Amino acid sequence: MKITRGAKLALAVVASSALAVSLLTPAQAATRSTIVLHDTNSLTSFNSGTPDTNLTINGKVGNLSGIGFLYINDKKNVVRNTKFGEFKIVKNKADDFRIEYKVNKGLVWSDGTPINGVDLLLTHVLSSNKYSIAAGLGDPDSDNVPAFNSNGYGGTYSDNIVGEPVLSADKMTLTLQFKQKIANWDLYGPGPSPVHTMVLIADGVKSLQSVAVNEKARDKFFDAYKTKNTAVLKAMGKVYSEAYNITEVNASTNPLLFVGNGGFLVESAVTKSSVTLKVNPKYNSGPALSGTIDTVIFKFIADGTAAAQALANGELDIYSGQPTADAVAALKKLTNVNLIGGINACYEHWDTRVGNAPGQDEYTGIFKGHGGKGADLRRAFLLSVPREEINEKLIRPINPSATILGSTFIAPGFDGYERLIANNGSFYYNGPQSELNAKAARLLKKHYPNAGPDNPVKVNVLVPGNNPRRAAEFALAKANALKVGFDLVGDVQASWSPKIQLSKYDVQFFAYCPSAVTQAGSNGNFKLGGGNNRNGINLPTLDKILEKLQLPMDNKTYISTIIQAERIIHAEGLTSGVFLHPAVTAVNKLLKGIKPSPLSDDVVWNWWEWSY
Amino acid sequence: MLSYIMRRIGVSIVILFGSSFLVFNLAAYASDPLAELRLSSDDGARQQIIALTRDLNLDVPPPLRYFLWLKGVLGLFVGNLNLGMTREASSVQEELAYAIPVTLRLVLVATFTALILGMAFGIISALRQYSRFDYGMTFLAFLLYSLPIFWIAVLLKEFMAIQFNNFLGDPDIPTLWMVLASTFTGVFWGALFGGERKRFWSIFAGAFATNFLLLWAIDLTDWYLNPGLGPILVGLLSGGLAIGVTSISTGVENKPARNAALSMAALAFLSYYPAQWVFNNFGSYLTIFLLIVLIVLTGITLSRIFSRIDRGPIARTAIITGILSGFLILTDRVMQSWSGYMATDAVNGRPVPTYGQRKDQLVTDDFWLNNLDIISHLVLPTLALILISLAGWIRYTRGSLLEVLNQDYIRTARAKGLNERTVVTRHAFRNMMLPLSSLFVGEVLGLISGAVITERVFGWQGMGTLGIKAINSYDLNLLMGVNLLLSILVVMGNLIADLLYSVLDPRIRLGK
Repeated sequence: MKITRGAKLALAVVASSALAVSLLTPAQAATRSTIVLHDTNSLTSFNSGTPDTNLTINGKVGNLSGIGFLYINDKKNVVRNTKFGEFKIVKNKADDFRIEYKVNKGLVWSDGTPINGVDLLLTHVLSSNKYSIAAGLGDPDSDNVPAFNSNGYGGTYSDNIVGEPVLSADKMTLTLQFKQKIANWDLYGPGPSPVHTMVLIADGVKSLQSVAVNEKARDKFFDAYKTKNTAVLKAMGKVYSEAYNITEVNASTNPLLFVGNGGFLVESAVTKSSVTLKVNPKYNSGPALSGTIDTVIFKFIADGTAAAQALANGELDIYSGQPTADAVAALKKLTNVNLIGGINACYEHWDTRVGNAPGQDEYTGIFKGHGGKGADLRRAFLLSVPREEINEKLIRPINPSATILGSTFIAPGFDGYERLIANNGSFYYNGPQSELNAKAARLLKKHYPNAGPDNPVKVNVLVPGNNPRRAAEFALAKANALKVGFDLVGDVQASWSPKIQLSKYDVQFFAYCPSAVTQAGSNGNFKLGGGNNRNGINLPTLDKILEKLQLPMDNKTYISTIIQAERIIHAEGLTSGVFLHPAVTAVNKLLKGIKPSPLSDDVVWNWWEWSY
Repeated sequence: MLSYIMRRIGVSIVILFGSSFLVFNLAAYASDPLAELRLSSDDGARQQIIALTRDLNLDVPPPLRYFLWLKGVLGLFVGNLNLGMTREASSVQEELAYAIPVTLRLVLVATFTALILGMAFGIISALRQYSRFDYGMTFLAFLLYSLPIFWIAVLLKEFMAIQFNNFLGDPDIPTLWMVLASTFTGVFWGALFGGERKRFWSIFAGAFATNFLLLWAIDLTDWYLNPGLGPILVGLLSGGLAIGVTSISTGVENKPARNAALSMAALAFLSYYPAQWVFNNFGSYLTIFLLIVLIVLTGITLSRIFSRIDRGPIARTAIITGILSGFLILTDRVMQSWSGYMATDAVNGRPVPTYGQRKDQLVTDDFWLNNLDIISHLVLPTLALILISLAGWIRYTRGSLLEVLNQDYIRTARAKGLNERTVVTRHAFRNMMLPLSSLFVGEVLGLISGAVITERVFGWQGMGTLGIKAINSYDLNLLMGVNLLLSILVVMGNLIADLLYSVLDPRIRLGK
């Protein structure tokens, strides 16, 4: 083997170059105009409005390429976009509620076509069950797919709209009539869609057209809309439902698909890898762009650690996710990023059972019935949930400012939250855990004099599976409850959500993730007949208070109403909020204007403010 | 034989039905695709539940729904395979068709490199049983065996990507690193070739000095910012390769073989500049293929020039030398694109990526830039996969070869007076391959199932990622698609391994 000296030299070269790794030195910062974001899911469509494509990432791309009368900011407040237009209530009676939407003059789509009120009409086609049936486009509630496979059917809009929206003679103002005052009415208004592009695509056109041709195409839609021309609308519905479901975009893709009025429009996309958007030079429908960013790229990375390392390597500019405490510690060490701690909209809470959900077996457990024994034991149980300890051990390592929740209606930071928790009876559940335990034990002994750590009362708990944090949460709760005299019997279920309503569970804990900002939000959890009332709650006085939340009201009345409702909820021991799910956003230090929102749009809601 | 195969295939089909029925029902009962929607207070949730129930037949009980799915699968026989839709309304077949090539690209290189390196280390280990090298390799094998891939991946990204890119921003190798790296290299080569203590130290000193000088030169010239080998280095390395290949292939005492190999190396040196012209003007996979054909023809011609008898081994030696030398020139050409690659907008001076298959923003027609981009994305995941699978091959090879070396026919071969090279390469090596072959079949078919963790950590959208996604999003059709493909591969793999074994080893008869 002595002859391999030559090979040895060759291998030495390879080995040495592999070993030529050296110490950390910061890289040079060049002026950039590109911002790279990530999402855990891959894009599946450029229309997030159908039931199949209603993914966060699809919505984010849509958010950048279109803007209407309003947007929702990082405080979950609705902000009006007066650059696009104005809207106001023109008739405000209990049974006749009208809103007028006026589009500003001089706004254009990215192909130069002026925007007008006709562009708002598609919302009605996409949301009204009645219109879909009347125009021969199919019944969205049936087993057949409607012509416009829209996610908007069957909601508040469809349930309350009266007749059809009325367009003014100059085609710039649209008036909607609802059969009653609806809470958060501003959220159900129309949004602009480039209807002329759908008509053109349906006609087989594959390139951008002149303004005159576009106007003509829009008129064709308007005529079809007015006369309920099934054939034309069906052809458009096919475009709406199918044409946008592509994931590869290049120079040969039909440019009509990507006409919009947002600040950034889709330029190219690679399947399961990325989407690139370029600044829209004709953008004038919203707040002015900062001007330092001309390209926005979404990259799809499923793994949180991988995304964090990509950020460290400069391949990403923003990382957002719900990482573990370790991952947060690692992010803190990065020198090239700023860390913005935060929360997402999900709130973890423990619910107790009062009776059976509709259609379920009779509930005979210890918490049965309103008032008296049931209420005492429910309060005792909720007192025994060590909320402070759960926050301290599981949440604060990720979000140091996490606190226990005093309300399940609105989150900390919302206008009026302080007044709310001072008055809604939540203080009953606050204090050092030893005191709460003593309070709980007194309540328990009232009905079970022999109960105690040696002779505990059994409580059946539904434990959501496949979730380490919830396993830890349950372990902490079990340990403390035993001190009071409750023996928590956990039933771990991977597929837990359909089982919440089963009468065999006395207690469930999980999270609701409200994705909208409606004031009626938590309503259905407690109301008789409410969609999420799975614990058999039946309190007419509470129902009456909750009923009021369906109507529009100012913040002060809103908070006072919730105070009334939550006093009852807390006295009955129906639910207890534990923590908001923590989220973390890490941003390239050079980038400014990033304000993560707890809603699903996350960081993209204020793209015009981004700058280098 | 034929009846045996038919019987095995018949049994396999029954197994496939049974397993798919079980998996389908287990998965359907364990998961609820509508879970999130039921809890949602969104307006759209109602419509989504209606649509999903309709599209995925969720109103049919799972045991019956299985047969709806099976109907689509059996459509294969009438040319109308339908594996159903995913939750996101894309076709499962399309998802699989996208994922398989991605996975193959990722794992093919890694598997074959791990196999070749592992076998080489294993063979040397066995031949030098109980030497420093053997102990070192045993240690290395157990060390690598015990490392989890996600951890290796994170470390590789940290040191080979993030910090290396930082280093390229301000390149300067500290002297301490040069000394450490050179010491490591010295110990490695000393252990590999050393025998007596004196010999170990002399080799150590040589390797240390060579390595240190090399690093020093690299540092001085900022070689890593503008790398390349150049004609002289290509010539010298080709010469080394020629001697190395000859010594293993035929032994250097075979004069015609040695001369043919050396001539091939000389030709490689001479063709350096012409090759540049060809690469610059006709850069494509076809060109590379044609050049390989040219090398093979040259090798055969050389064997005819240098010998009248026994030309096969000579041609083989020359061809292997030629291909390896050609690979050096090719590497040199890829290296020349490095500085251009670094300067592109998409790369922005940080060339080693931590995830993904390509840089989508790098849009260019340049064959070399595109390939460099593919290579730079392959480096880390490939390295991670090699590191974890290397250990197994080292241990298997070592054990297998040691067993063969103790056989009677090896003693007979030695007693005949054959030289050690012939005994090892001809008598021991071939028999050693027997048990490894069945392992190898399993490994190659396992490739398609994907490297679940590696794919996820490095952001490759292959089969592994697809499987994980199916499980996480309760996507039954997708899960069944992945599962069906994998079950077929496992069943086929076992069959092929058994058949291969009987072909390779005449002592084994199947089905008797």
